[in-house]
Amino acid sequence: MSTPIYSDVQLDALRELANIGSGQAAAALSQLLGRPVDISVPTAAALPLADAVAVSGDPDAPRYGILVPIIGDMDASVVLLVPEEDAVTLTSVFGLEPASEDGRSMLAEVGNILGTSYINVLAQMTGMGMEPAPPQVTHDMLGAILASVLLGRGDDVDVALVLDSALEVEGESCSMSFLLLPQPGGVDELLGRIGL
Amino acid sequence: MGEIVSSANAGDVLACVGLGSCIGLALIDRRAGVAGLAHVMLPVSPGETDQVGKFADLAVPALVEEIGRLGAAKHRLDAVLVGGAAMFSFGTTGTTQEIGKRNEEAVRSALDATRIPVRAAETGGDRGRTMRVHVGTSRVTSREAAGAEIELYGDLAIDLRRAA
Repeated sequence: MSTPIYSDVQLDALRELANIGSGQAAAALSQLLGRPVDISVPTAAALPLADAVAVSGDPDAPRYGILVPIIGDMDASVVLLVPEEDAVTLTSVFGLEPASEDGRSMLAEVGNILGTSYINVLAQMTGMGMEPAPPQVTHDMLGAILASVLLGRGDDVDVALVLDSALEVEGESCSMSFLLLPQPGGVDELLGRIGL
Repeated sequence: MGEIVSSANAGDVLACVGLGSCIGLALIDRRAGVAGLAHVMLPVSPGETDQVGKFADLAVPALVEEIGRLGAAKHRLDAVLVGGAAMFSFGTTGTTQEIGKRNEEAVRSALDATRIPVRAAETGGDRGRTMRVHVGTSRVTSREAAGAEIELYGDLAIDLRRAA
């Protein structure tokens, strides 16, 4: 089976975009929480769908999943995956519990702030028009969350481009995974805009 | 994901872990002790493809053929469906159905065309599920995140439900 593979130069460029985007997103989250947020250098990988789910962890593992659908010149999904104990820590910053309604609202707001600032950077750098839709929060199996996000629009996705950064909230033992998952065609559009 | 697995070895467990909008389709010949499981991701194949397990229209005949090679008889097959949830809304227009529902309908119509009855189904809703098929006993179970495992099919189904 042949799959479109992105060149190293293209993946480097995508990684750099993700780096700047997630840096901006971390700064925005830091403002919301009132404490520093560290961010890892993102990984960029073009993977068959099943592998994209597998590299993100045990498909059976419970996660809080926050989805911010992106609509525009590049349709995509921004997904925040937060392990349960990290969701407890994150919401406790505001004295909340992740399972409560207010806790879920806070998680949605975290997703909104991260996703919006990330997308704004991408839009500015590439000149693409992109709008975030309201965030949706779920608490479910990692595999079910990612597969539903990747296939949810009914597109035939062979290869998923996963741009994955890890965010760490300083002073709290709290980390989460932050993914940008473009829909098919979106990556080519993105690369075209930056001349690759 | 998108794969087809099968077994005639009692004790084997076939599984689809973390089904969201995908459908886990089990076909079972209880008498022969043969079971097969497909992880269906999308309703309709785009045309030529070697990924037969991925699409409902191709997965059903491919699964029937595969377990046929292990000794399953088509007229004895029972189907069990798990998955097809809508965990997120993508703001598609009102006429476009959710992908989970479309997957389920496509699997059911392919089964109808092959005259295989659906004996049990745990589908829809907004929760992910893990499906397990126990070869030999022919037990099929489904479990939601943080939920209990429920038995959908198998000799012990009724006894277990009474005991619970």
